[in-house]
Amino acid sequence: MNRQSGAGAGGARAAGARAAGAAQAGAGGAEAAASAVIEVDRLTKDYGHGRGVFGVSFQIAKGEVFGFVGPNGAGKTTTIRHLMGFSAPQAGRASILGLDCWKHPSQILRRVGYLPGEIALPEGLTGTQFIRFMQGLRGSRDQDRLNGLLDRFQLDPRGKTKRMSLGDKRKLAVVAAFMADPDVLLLDEPTSGLDPIMQERFIEFMRQERLRGKTILLSSHMFSEVQAVCDRIAIIKDGEIVSTVRTTDIRRSELKTYQVTFGTLAGFQSFLTSFGRAVIFADQDEKRIDVRIRDNEVNHLIRRLANCQVASFKERKASLEDYFLGFYQTAPREGGNGPHH
Amino acid sequence: MFSAALMKQTIRENSVLWLILAAVQCLMVSTIGLTTPLAAAGIAYYNMLPGIFVGIYAITIGNRLICAKVDRGTLAYVLSTPVSRRAVVATQALFFAGSLALMCTLAATVHCVAASFSSYGASSAEVQTIIKLNLGLLALALAFSGICFAASCVFNLSKHAIGLGGGVICAFLLAPLIAMFGQNFTFLRYLTIVTLYDVPGIMASATGWAWRLAGLAGVALATYAAGALAFTRKDLPL
Repeated sequence: MNRQSGAGAGGARAAGARAAGAAQAGAGGAEAAASAVIEVDRLTKDYGHGRGVFGVSFQIAKGEVFGFVGPNGAGKTTTIRHLMGFSAPQAGRASILGLDCWKHPSQILRRVGYLPGEIALPEGLTGTQFIRFMQGLRGSRDQDRLNGLLDRFQLDPRGKTKRMSLGDKRKLAVVAAFMADPDVLLLDEPTSGLDPIMQERFIEFMRQERLRGKTILLSSHMFSEVQAVCDRIAIIKDGEIVSTVRTTDIRRSELKTYQVTFGTLAGFQSFLTSFGRAVIFADQDEKRIDVRIRDNEVNHLIRRLANCQVASFKERKASLEDYFLGFYQTAPREGGNGPHH
Repeated sequence: MFSAALMKQTIRENSVLWLILAAVQCLMVSTIGLTTPLAAAGIAYYNMLPGIFVGIYAITIGNRLICAKVDRGTLAYVLSTPVSRRAVVATQALFFAGSLALMCTLAATVHCVAASFSSYGASSAEVQTIIKLNLGLLALALAFSGICFAASCVFNLSKHAIGLGGGVICAFLLAPLIAMFGQNFTFLRYLTIVTLYDVPGIMASATGWAWRLAGLAGVALATYAAGALAFTRKDLPL
């Protein structure tokens, strides 16, 4: 692996967290299945009509933040449902802290915080009553931590939950998930419905929790948040995991994407025929071509472009978004199977 | 086995309907007790009205206790804590049966007190009959609630739970009425558990009423147990 320092703005921002977690991350991950806190092994549940999960496997080590990304209906929530013990697997198993999620959910849930994807709070309660209710069910009441969380997310829980905005309901669910200070967190799209400032605050909070050794499964649609906090990311599509990557690998990729716009159609076509193998996107109307090449091919590319009437030339920053969008589309783009390997 | 926090919340959610139905029943039995001798009013009242009251309670609350929480997704919060499914189902069942027992005890007490204050007075035999009638009502109510509870535990959609629980209870309550329309329909009396609540038999101090109530209790026990078993084993779409 080609290790570079200063891997970009996102990398610099997360550098502190990453350095502290490096020892764990290096020892953890797929290689150290024995110490995995969350383990999903060939989990299969067929709901019919192609929906469900089919042979999903992954491990999450202690102190790791694991991103779970995929289109709607891909199987993220189904997987989490099995980890919560709401559903019995047809084949395979899901376990947390070495205990089977279907057989021992209440033992496991002593140490797990859960944030549901859909916020359906019990009716007729104020936020405060809901918090008391959850504390009662958990049998723990840590008032200092609760106040800290309410402060951090600027939530006033006194009103009726029914009248709360979506963002406040989401904050209430976040507070409920974290207030007992659980070791393991299963978060299903935690920031949807939060405004950008609160999203940023939540991301920062997850980083801190990670440094405190919490193990987090984060299902999300938002690349920025996944990129900012996750150590590893799995992409799930049509109920199967199509790729698992380390966030750092994507940033350090030797493959880069360049976007070239041509002044003339002749230039556009000339380049397309001569450099076709690296082209991942071509639009004749805009006379625009995206090529993805290795760093050592840059000179070759520039020489080739010299005779092609280039109007503009820029590097597209390698981000998870580029990496994932290919998986989101129903038919993968030509050559668009990810920036590495 | 039970969750005190969940019980508190369940009481909070369902107390209004309980209070309304208990108040209506108390109002009726106190009026009847004060104005009419038991021999005249007993069959007319106990044969029909309280059955409908507990039927309404069973259908509405039965759905709310489990199925509506699954349907709306709010059960996810309860089950994201160390409270097990078994504790959830036991707590909800305890509330259901307990609230009905309290309702029947209250109605029986009010009826006895009202009768003793009436100009006719109440003999100890009459007090016993009132207690037996309400015990029978409780057995019927528990059987109804068991049916609705089982439906609530089995189904994930409120419309299905209400449809089945409500349909069965309406059929049970209507069957004896239709049976009164003629010889051709008398067989309907044997297709409904309401027949096991033998109001004329209890009034006439006939023997065998206790066995019939045991039958109702058996229905209640079986349906509660079946519901609890189904709920602890099924996949929840939360």
